[in-house]
Amino acid sequence: MTRSMIASAVAVTLVALMLGAPMQAFAQARPDFSGTWRISQAKSSRNVVGNTPDIQFPSQLDVKQTATDIAVTATSVRQRPVSATYKLDGTKVNVQAPEGITETGQATLNGSNLVITSRRSFSSPAGDVVVDFKEVWTINGTELTIEKTRTQVGDTPSTQKAVYDKM
Amino acid sequence: MRVILAFVISLGILLATASIQAHHSFSATYDGNKPITLRGTIVKMGWQNPHAHLYVDVKNADGKVVTWEVESAGPTTLMKQGLRKEDFVGAEVIIKGFLAKDGTPTVNASSFTLVESKKEFVSDEKTQ
Repeated sequence: MTRSMIASAVAVTLVALMLGAPMQAFAQARPDFSGTWRISQAKSSRNVVGNTPDIQFPSQLDVKQTATDIAVTATSVRQRPVSATYKLDGTKVNVQAPEGITETGQATLNGSNLVITSRRSFSSPAGDVVVDFKEVWTINGTELTIEKTRTQVGDTPSTQKAVYDKM
Repeated sequence: MRVILAFVISLGILLATASIQAHHSFSATYDGNKPITLRGTIVKMGWQNPHAHLYVDVKNADGKVVTWEVESAGPTTLMKQGLRKEDFVGAEVIIKGFLAKDGTPTVNASSFTLVESKKEFVSDEKTQ
């Protein structure tokens, strides 16, 4: 093999790497969460469903993702739905929460994860309540895992994990 | 004789209905979208099945005291964790739960923690 052949091979390899790496990075940075997802009680951690939830997770998620937005509708049995269309650039948006609840949120793609942070406020007989949530979504084939942290002013944060199956 | 039999059956149906109503589901009564943490003093314990109830005085931001009804696990579940009915009246407690849908000072507690001993009681029987 001549020196010029080696140089050509190296050049071709470098070009392939330069072209391939961004595409791979793009693929990792843009996971697609679209679909209908239903919670798996068997795969989820304790206290996320049933009669004594520590943190409430919706029983079903309907998600539509585009290049710039992700629309999420969360529904649970006998609970009023919560929906939002988040901009994937992290812009703060208003969440369509049930009457009596004010909520804003923002979403960003962080590598293979979707991170949604939100602040919910509502009144109660104890006064106004403000709760912060952080959700980290990770997709693995037909499984969606959501780790959710709830923090209320004056309280220690709680974190629970739920697993959803794609329908 | 038939009148007595009919009365006994009716009474049985009434009691069964009351029991079913007491053992309602979370989603029917509580708002999963409204989690809340409260801090207050236990003033009374209701030790009935299927759910024990704590009555807790909570001071609002404006200083007004409101008595909250806190639905917890059944007495058996709490007893397994070492709680006795007469133990904690007067104790300070932190409750994590969800507000009732009807707007009353009622919560479903997923856990409550005694401030002094830091002992936590959970409502989830699967953890027992």
